[in-house]
Amino acid sequence: MDPKLLDILVCPVSKAPLEWNKEKNELICRASGLAYPIRDDIPVMLESEARTLTSEERLKESQ
Amino acid sequence: MSEQNEKKTTHFGYQDVPVEEKVKRVADVFHSVAGKYDLMNDLMSGGIHRLWKRITIDQSGVRRGHKVLDIAGGTGDLTRKFARMVGSEGKVVLADINDSMLKVGRDKLLNSGVAGNVEYVQANAECLPFEDNTFDVITIAFGLRNVTDQNAAIASMLRVLKPGGKLMILEFSKTDNPALTKLYDFYSFNILPQMGKVIAGDADSYRYLAESIRKHPDQETLKGMMEQAGFVNCRYQNMTGGIVALHTGIKP
Repeated sequence: MDPKLLDILVCPVSKAPLEWNKEKNELICRASGLAYPIRDDIPVMLESEARTLTSEERLKESQ
Repeated sequence: MSEQNEKKTTHFGYQDVPVEEKVKRVADVFHSVAGKYDLMNDLMSGGIHRLWKRITIDQSGVRRGHKVLDIAGGTGDLTRKFARMVGSEGKVVLADINDSMLKVGRDKLLNSGVAGNVEYVQANAECLPFEDNTFDVITIAFGLRNVTDQNAAIASMLRVLKPGGKLMILEFSKTDNPALTKLYDFYSFNILPQMGKVIAGDADSYRYLAESIRKHPDQETLKGMMEQAGFVNCRYQNMTGGIVALHTGIKP
């Protein structure tokens, strides 16, 4: 995935910007607490496919 | 009102299905047909779908440096042309809710040498994952019909368009000539599902196609929906006797 895509991509639920967690290959939204998978280099920006961040993750992400 | 407690339903072709089931059913249709999608489009329309798309591209006003969003872009016919028109300073985002269609589209575009200014995003037109005021032009070709909440999709497209940006909806519509309608109905409900069965091994998906076309809002209704959402200068142009219509509107 081209990192420049993050300039225009937002969380479809909160419309807030996303952070790319390269380790997990997910796009993280702190505002909605959702993590969107990137599959086959394509960001999957569907709420139904997103993972809810654990409370530890939410703490860590906000640091 | 007692209806409040009843489950919300929507149409899937001529059947009424729960709202959440339409998404899955439509997904199944496109997972099923993705590999044969281009071939079927050529056969079903006698190649005329290329002309419909050509007219859409000619009227898009897309220029070098533009950002274009091709929603439900499926196998990338419009994206391929737009990628050339926007050049290296521009960008085309091909979005589709269906990963099978996106992957077929990406492979096809890469094979034809389109790369560098095209991005691929799996997204739902009803809640687009883009910043406000991002795109100069948005196209949705033969996609709106399959969206469950079309008003939500139109509002979402308005949000991500730049002020002055243009929405183009290319979609099957209503024929205005009784003789053509009769012929078209016979073709759609008798010949088309047979073609789907023989070529794509899937008559049901093509029966859905014919039914969903008949359920889609007609020209004036869709124009009204765009105006209601806040688009201005809304107009439409019939093609092939109204079998297809191209609606355009501008974000004020």
